This record gives sequence, C-alpha cells and structure tokens, in this order.
Amino acid sequence: MAVTAPGQLNVNEPPSWGSRSVDCFEKLEQIGEGTYGQVYMARELKTGEIVALKKIRMDNEREGFPITAIREIKILKKLHHENVIKLKEIVTSPGPEKDEQGKPDGNKYKGGIYMVFEYMDHDLTGLADRPGMRFSVPQIKCYMRQLLTGLHYCHVNQVLHRDIKGSNLLIDNEGNLKLADFGLARSFSNDHNANLTNRVITLWYRPPELLLGSTKYGPAVDMWSVGCIFAELLHGKPIFPGKDEPEQLNKIFELCGAPDEVNWPGVSKIPWYNNFKPTRPMKRRIREVFRHFDRHALELLEKMITLDPSQRISAKDALDAEYFWTDPLPCDPKSLPKYESSHEFQTKKKRQQQRQHEENAKRQKLQHPQHARLPPIQQSGQAHAHMRPVPNQPIHGSQPPVTAGPSHHFGKPRGHPGPGRYPGGNPPSGYNHSSRGGQGGYGNNQYAQGRGAAPYGSGNMSGAGPRGGAGGGSSYGMGAPNYPQNGPYPGSSGTGRGSNVMGGNRNQQYGWQQ
Amino acid sequence: MLTGNDFPANGLAEGDNVAEPTPRVLIILACVLDRLVARNDRIADGITHQIEESSSCGTSHIGNSFNAFHGVRAPAISILKYLERIYKYTNCSPSCLVVGFVYIDRLIHRHPNSLVISLNVHRLLVTSIMVASKILDDVHYNNAFYARVGGVNKVELNKLELELLFLLDFGVTVSSRAFETYCLHLEKEMLLNGNGELQRIERPLMATNSLDDVSEISVDDTLASSSPP
Repeated sequence: MAVTAPGQLNVNEPPSWGSRSVDCFEKLEQIGEGTYGQVYMARELKTGEIVALKKIRMDNEREGFPITAIREIKILKKLHHENVIKLKEIVTSPGPEKDEQGKPDGNKYKGGIYMVFEYMDHDLTGLADRPGMRFSVPQIKCYMRQLLTGLHYCHVNQVLHRDIKGSNLLIDNEGNLKLADFGLARSFSNDHNANLTNRVITLWYRPPELLLGSTKYGPAVDMWSVGCIFAELLHGKPIFPGKDEPEQLNKIFELCGAPDEVNWPGVSKIPWYNNFKPTRPMKRRIREVFRHFDRHALELLEKMITLDPSQRISAKDALDAEYFWTDPLPCDPKSLPKYESSHEFQTKKKRQQQRQHEENAKRQKLQHPQHARLPPIQQSGQAHAHMRPVPNQPIHGSQPPVTAGPSHHFGKPRGHPGPGRYPGGNPPSGYNHSSRGGQGGYGNNQYAQGRGAAPYGSGNMSGAGPRGGAGGGSSYGMGAPNYPQNGPYPGSSGTGRGSNVMGGNRNQQYGWQQ
Repeated sequence: MLTGNDFPANGLAEGDNVAEPTPRVLIILACVLDRLVARNDRIADGITHQIEESSSCGTSHIGNSFNAFHGVRAPAISILKYLERIYKYTNCSPSCLVVGFVYIDRLIHRHPNSLVISLNVHRLLVTSIMVASKILDDVHYNNAFYARVGGVNKVELNKLELELLFLLDFGVTVSSRAFETYCLHLEKEMLLNGNGELQRIERPLMATNSLDDVSEISVDDTLASSSPP
C-alpha cells in the first residue's frame, strides 16, 4: 500500500529483467521461427553458457507489446519445474534511438526484446523425425512420464497449456523433457464459469469438445493432446491428421466412436454438436486398431482419448497408471542416447534442401529430349497443395513451384506399421501433414489456424478489428488472444489451413525488419 | 504532448452525457491519487529548491525511474476527469482501474526514490490501465486507441508500455487475494479521510475461494477485440 507511503523499501529484489543487453550473447544459429519472432541458439559471452533467444516481434505499432508475450512471460514467471522450460531473463537490444547527448535514451523501446531460455537440443517432433529414429519402450515411458509430470505441475498451478504437441516438447541431451511455448497458455479457475476461446491447440491435437465449440473447458483439453502424442509415439505417425475441422472430428469419431448422450452426457448441448454429429453410427475401435500395442499402453491411451472430457484421465491419475509401473519401466533420462541437435525447424529445412537437390537433379534430366513428354514431376504429398491458399515458399524463392513445401513429414524412413492399419485411410505415402505448424517450442506458430483467420471463412473475421488481418494469406495474427466466436467453420472445407499460411510466412520471414 | 487542451482536438468529443453513474472506484482512485500527487509535488518542489540553491538543475533529480512518463508541464485535466475519460471511451472494466493502481503501487515499491507527481501521473495512469485491460479484458482496445483517448502519441505510448512492463519486471499478475486487499485499502482510504460512509468498490464476479489471477478469471477470451470507432 505504498501509494500513501512511498518511502518503504522493497527488499529481496532480484536484478530486474531487461537490464542487460542482447550483446551479452553471441547468436550462433537460428533454430526456430514463431508467432512473435525468430529463435536463436546463442552463447552467453561471460559464462559460455548456451541459451535460446526468442525475439519478440515489436513491429505492430497499433498493438504495442504482444499480449501473447506478456502472457507467456507472466505465466513462466510463476512456473518453476524441471519439466517446464525455464525463462532465464529478458534482454533488450540497443536500438537506433539516442538522446541529445548521443547516448542510448535509456528507453526500453529499442531494437528488440528477447526472452532468454535455457537451451534444449531437440524437440520431440524433430527427434522423432530423424531418419531411422525408433524410440524404445522405456524411452517412450520416460518421455511420457516427464510430459505428464510437467503438465500435472501446470494444472496444479491452474495453468492450461493449450498447445501441447511434439514441437513444443523440448528435450535436451540429458534426456530431460520440458514443456515450452506458453504463448497460448492461460490460468483457469476450477469453477468453469469463464468462457474461454476454443480456437486453441494445433488441429491434430485438438480435443473433440473444442472442435464442437465448447467454451467452458479445463485441463482435460491438454490431456487429449497428450493422448495424441502418446499414440503417435507408439504408432509412429500422427493418429488424427485432419486437414480441417470437420475432417478432424470425423477422424476422431472413426477411431473413438461417435459421441452421444450415453458415452458423453451433455454433448448434445455443446454449441456445434448438431452441425457435426455423425450421420452414421460409429463405434469405438481403439482396441481393434491399436491391438498391437502393449496392454497397459492401450489401457492408458483409452483413458486419454476419451471423448467426454469429464471422464478423461487427469495428468495425476495417468502418472499412477499401471503402464508406468510395469516392466519395462521408464528409463532414467540420463541413460538415453545423445543425439545431434534436432529441431523441427532444422530438420524441415534439411529435408527441404534435400528435396530441392533431388528436384533440381530431376529437372536436369527432364531437359533431355526423350523425357520431354513426361508429366510434370509429382512430389508425394503434392496432391494436397491445392488446399493451401499460400503454399509454403522456399526460403530464397528459387524452388520450383511443384514442390509442396517443407512441412511434410512424409517419406521418412520411420518404419510405419504398415499402411491401412489406421482407419483414417491415410495413403501409404503419408498424408498431408502440413497442418503441423509448430516450429519448435521456443517459437510457436501453431495457432495460425485460429489467428490466421482463413480456415473459418474470412467473413467470420469481420469483427476481428485491428488484430490479425482477416482472411489474408499474410496475416500473422500475432498477439491476438481474442478470436471471434462465430459459427462452426463455414466454408472450412477446402479452404486450407491457416497454419500453412503461417508455414509460408515463416520461410519468408528472414528479412523482416524491426 | 499530454495537455488538457489536446483532448477536443483528437476527435473524441465529450459527447452527450447520458449519465451512467460513475463507478465509485474512479472517484476513490482519483481522490487517493490527488492526495498522493499533492504531497509528492511539495516534496519534489522542496528537492528542486535545494538543488537550485546548490546551483544544480532540473527536476530529474527526483529519482529518474519514471522519467519516461514525465511531461514538460502538468496536463490541465484533473485526475478524476482523466480517469472518467479513459473509462468512458475504452469501456474497460472497473477492475482494470484497481489493477492499474496496483501496478502504480508496485512501481513505487520497486523504485522508492521515484515520485508520482503531477507531471507523470496521467501517463502512468493511461499506461497502467491499458496494460491492465490488455491482461484483464479479453475485449480491449489496442494501444493506438488508448493513445488517442489518453492524448499521448501512439509511439510514445508503446514506449511507455514497455517502460512500465520492465519497471514492473513483468510482475503483472494480481492474485484475487491481492486484488481484494487493494480494494479494501482504497475503501479504507476514503473512510479515513472523512469522505462519508463506506463506499464499496465494484468487484468482478469471481469465485470467492479461488486463488487465481483476478486477471484471468471471470473474463471471456472468446471475443475479438474491438477496433476504434
């Protein structure tokens, strides 16, 4: 209450954030690209410590400091756990502004603002996508247990992550897994009275209640995502790779059965239930489809991808599941193999370069007259390119237009259990995985599908006001926590996903200026 | 420049006063801040005199943490009128005013040598209420709009926002318990200073047993922010 007594001392203050310059660090390499800026691996000059620098984009003059950044900083300030990424400090970079004496003007509105995180070598998606990578059962148990431990900590502290996915789970070479990217996270109260946006969580990991338009939800949304990741680790590929919301729901219903008042009391009251309720009966087929899974794994998975959020297992109960307490037990993180650094951002880039290489080689062959009548080269996955209003662009614009873009995870030697096992009917060549938008947990762009506006029909976005320009392929929509809550996905079929839009932007963002 | 004279010029004419009752929190806050500023202005004057006597110069010796918020001269508009204006045009929830006050109070704690005086109180208010609204209200105006309402340049307000966030060390979370404590404090201030019977500050709807952020509960994040008219 110092307004009336301003002279009181406030003791025990740590050195304030923002007091140091980014010049204390040497940038080594870009490792990610997110909603609010690039992410770099960097070395602190004084200590030699390797960190990750996440630049906060400050180029929207009308919005000021991005609300997502405020939220992330605010939430990370209160979370301290070995399975949650640690925000070490915030640094500024000296901008062009000087005062009359030519000294920096002491103002923080400078060249840029960076969040300094502990450095993590991998993200789960990047790691899983390494050629030849196959996780052992104790390894999967080890990662899952850490994921659940971190998430349980968040939930106990009343924080919803709201964007659990592989690229937001960072892993270091000590085998530690940490939750990252809290740009969409928020506090929740247990009374469930607040209306929350359902435009969260990357599509493939988004639970049915959000897809059906629920605005009152809780920690169960994160648990659905965990279930998707768990199944993906065991299955070797994403289990619900929907390209838009209706398809996403359909894929879920095909595996989990159709929701009704019996298996999900109250489901018919959810806003968009009537728009999406399946026209034909569908029964739950998890045990059938994943019959090759270990019994305890299947049991746990069943409880995670339970349609009714109130019956879905909590992080705490999941940690007590038989799965984690039967042989083979989760291994010690330190016993895990060490891998060369891999972030989804980098692995994608590498694959893209490789494809470009092959592409060029093929084109050269094409120039021979005897091949002149061959049809244009089709890259696998390219058939879906028409769904994207803005295809992913190559970094330097030199890539031939037939290449679908870097976001595909197809064609990797991952040892799929075989085509056709999964009822979604994915073509064996791999599906269009392009809606995996995230770029590694330091910098998300995952929320493109909500923010970017396109997938819901731009007409819906008219109320969006000054934030994230509507409908355009170029909208970052950064900093917009507020989404119009309009009708369920009009025109969503075939309009493509915003995340692709983002993907496209991401690769073009190298030159963005302050 | 933040002066009272700027307001009619920025296109937000004071309009027809269809009298919605002014929330009590505005009056209480204005009263508390008026007293604080009056006291601090005297202190600042004293310091300035001392410095002038020792042939140094400038008001910047009053502790410089709030320098960015200093105007050349005090705006003509009273604190109450200024708060009313912000409240009226930005449609922020009354809780934002309390939380804005919490931020200013935290600033004072963190920077005990800096004084809230008539030269900086307006900018401190518009900035802290804007940040509070950004965090508290999921439907909120953008910085550009707050700049117009507050009579501050947009670029300058962006700077002030950052300045505030860093001065606060990003400590923008206000627990519901802290929120309640501040409400009680403000109400007591009014009582102690002989302003009649107890006036209750408007509280947001929230779960009484919750330990959440006040900034995070009982507000929707479902709607788009509004654009300036």
